Amino acid sequence: MQTSDWQPVFILLVLVLAAIALLHAVAIAVCAVREPLRTGPFSGGLEPREHPLSRFHVRWYPVTMVFLAFDMEMLFMYPWTKVVSEVGPSAVIEMFLFLGVLLAGVGYAWREGAFRWS
Amino acid sequence: MTDPAPLWAVLALPAVLAGAAWAVASFDAVLGAGARAAWPGREALRLLVQQPRRTRAADVPLTRLGSTLLPVAAVLAAVVLPLGFRSVSDLPEGIVWFNAMEALAWAAVWLTGWGPNSTLSLIGGYRFLAQGLAYELPHMLAITTAALGAESLRVGDVVDAQAGLWFAVWMPAAFGIYLLSALAMSFWGPFDQPAGRDVAGGAAAELSGVDRIVFLSGRWLLFVVAAAFSVPLFLGGGHGPLLPGWAWTLLKTAVVLAFLVWARRRIPTVRMERYVELAWVVLTPLAVAQALVVAVVVLNR
Amino acid sequence: MELKSRLLRAATARPGVLLAVRPGATRERLFVEAELVRRGWPCAAGPASANLLVCVGEATTAEDDWAERLWLGIPAPKARVTASAVERAVEALDRGRADLLSGAHQHHVGRHEQTDGDLHRGHHEHQESPDPAPESGRHTHDDHNSHGSEHTNGSSAGAHQHGAHEGHASHEGHNGHAAHGMHGDHDMGVVAGLPMAARADDRDGLRLDRLHVPLGPVLADWPAGLVLRLELQGDVVQQAAVERIAAPITARPPFWNEPWLRASAGERVARGDAARRLCAAHLDSLGRFLAVAGWDDAAAEARHVRDRALAGVAATELTSSVVPLIRRIRRSRTLRWLTAGLGVLPSEHAHHLGVTGPALVADGDVHGRVLVWLDQIERSAGDCDAPGTLGAADVTGPRGRTDGANLPSQALLDVLPGLLEGAEFACARLIVASLDPDLDEFTWAAPPVRGPADD
Repeated sequence: MQTSDWQPVFILLVLVLAAIALLHAVAIAVCAVREPLRTGPFSGGLEPREHPLSRFHVRWYPVTMVFLAFDMEMLFMYPWTKVVSEVGPSAVIEMFLFLGVLLAGVGYAWREGAFRWS
Repeated sequence: MTDPAPLWAVLALPAVLAGAAWAVASFDAVLGAGARAAWPGREALRLLVQQPRRTRAADVPLTRLGSTLLPVAAVLAAVVLPLGFRSVSDLPEGIVWFNAMEALAWAAVWLTGWGPNSTLSLIGGYRFLAQGLAYELPHMLAITTAALGAESLRVGDVVDAQAGLWFAVWMPAAFGIYLLSALAMSFWGPFDQPAGRDVAGGAAAELSGVDRIVFLSGRWLLFVVAAAFSVPLFLGGGHGPLLPGWAWTLLKTAVVLAFLVWARRRIPTVRMERYVELAWVVLTPLAVAQALVVAVVVLNR
Repeated sequence: MELKSRLLRAATARPGVLLAVRPGATRERLFVEAELVRRGWPCAAGPASANLLVCVGEATTAEDDWAERLWLGIPAPKARVTASAVERAVEALDRGRADLLSGAHQHHVGRHEQTDGDLHRGHHEHQESPDPAPESGRHTHDDHNSHGSEHTNGSSAGAHQHGAHEGHASHEGHNGHAAHGMHGDHDMGVVAGLPMAARADDRDGLRLDRLHVPLGPVLADWPAGLVLRLELQGDVVQQAAVERIAAPITARPPFWNEPWLRASAGERVARGDAARRLCAAHLDSLGRFLAVAGWDDAAAEARHVRDRALAGVAATELTSSVVPLIRRIRRSRTLRWLTAGLGVLPSEHAHHLGVTGPALVADGDVHGRVLVWLDQIERSAGDCDAPGTLGAADVTGPRGRTDGANLPSQALLDVLPGLLEGAEFACARLIVASLDPDLDEFTWAAPPVRGPADD
């Protein structure tokens, strides 16, 4: 009946988007005032002096670097799970050596204080 | 492997998820005992009739994209969620698919926080990115560990592999880490800082009307889906004596959800600047060690 | 149409309430909070999810700029009421809901937008003048913000000389995306009437946008009437200046200090009543702190016990409900892990700044101050029915000595800027909550002998 595994996924995507659009339509029909309210941002009642959008102080920048290394590693780890017993002990040894190297990196980053930022 | 689900399941899935999210939100409100008793249905109706609201120089399409993305990601992730032994579509890389959809929440919360041009919502969005960096890696290692136990990325195979012993029994660390990350990815419970009250609702601070309904119900949906996914991954899916598979799935899911909702009341909100260190220094090595144990077991099977 | 109005009525049967508490209205706040819990009306954290703006306390004669802005930020259906006295609070809430149901305020919505539009137009004039002179434009805006607020701290003067701005202000169409102003040297670009943030050095030696944000006076679990003028880089507080919103001076003593003030004025005050008030005051602070820390369950319990204490339950009964709560908080390792090391205030420094209350006793961080509260709650709960009267020498209220040259909360406000510098936003909120200054103290008329510190 189904042409592919992905068919229901696409139907579902359309369905959910349609439901959300419908909700918006219902809201337009029943809302108290249709004209949007234009207002300033809330921070307790007073107005900010500048636009809040700003270059953010990304204090966890070193964490993103460590994260990226591991995220790349996951690309190998997902397919690896399927072939462990097929390939044998060498698969396990190689993967965990790799992970060990990365963990050593984590240890180094920790010692450098990358995970503490306040 | 079991036969594919009929097409009407596609229609049923969002309805079932919405019902479950509503039930969990109601349960949470009941435990709240009055103080913040915002009954979900009533609250949704209250928001539905609100006038649309735009903050100065807001990026409305971006905000709307963010708030819409959250329920979309939650429902699409649920495609691989089996009820009993049948899911809407048992994709061959179901676990990766779930991971990919759940990671969409990063974009969703950040866009929603950025869009309204408001300091507090910006802080909320920013907090979620830091949270993502903390929870995501142990989370990925935990779900790969389950996949490793079954040597397959198909959720159906993972459930089949637990016909005897549940994964939660022999990979308890991965299970615990998964539950933590289920809370963190739906920024709910002790990980609700991105939408915390101390920043007036954080990423949701400037949302009103339908945008708010969609965003907050998307969060509940994501919470339910993430918690429910622990059942096929670690709690044996539909396996169990006497009752049919679907009943076991529902029962186990309800227990996990009830536990998480109850546990939330015991602890304050976790701030990322403290949790990141724990996640990387304790949870990540723990998850790797768990994966190693499982890999050795798999080799000797 | 019939269906729509019925829906509106059902939707606003339990309105979302935005509480705007003015200084000097603690008694009313406690009453309204309990009443809202009883009615099951949710408390909104901001205007976006609110229907009903409840102003608690007497309005000043000066226009309340912030109250008006809050009102303008609430989307319809909406209503606004003032609960100026405990006796009239229930009636005010009922009236608020009736207004919502009848849609009384709805036809005003257009007018409010007009007002907001006027504000915008004002800014556009700045933008379109041939020589934009961002300096003067900003000052005008500053002055506008300062309406109804008084400086208590000179440090915000530094805020005026921030950032090196380029000679030209880049003109963006005011409908253009704000983000465009973010790149390159367009720091002072004016978008929709407001400039973008300018850059300044941060605590880690980077040059990043420095944002000036007034925080308060109306936030969930926030000391009523407190305004912090923050300079934020990302969510790190670079500098903080403390202000208070204007409030009418009354002859009514501040609620939490009342027993001690009465006693030192020569009245006979039962020792038990003072202990009860102290217990409730700390429970109130504790509830607020726990709510800021995101532990809603414990916060709700603390507030519940607080209301019971004020309702006058017997000491033994109060102790039996206080003890489990305190044990739970004391034992929470997560809370200790999350709050230890934040906002450290050594006692020499505290003493130097005139702090005399729990913050001085704690001699440490946020968690230490909470533990001092817990000790005092436990002790005072047992003393609630103690015989005897308060002597003239008993002057230590919940926040410190009530007979000093300085108000106890003035010292706490003086401590704040130093503690907040370099803290991130969530920590800053925890630090404020762990000191919990009571701005009611400033609304009390000076008795002839000694007066509150003048600003």
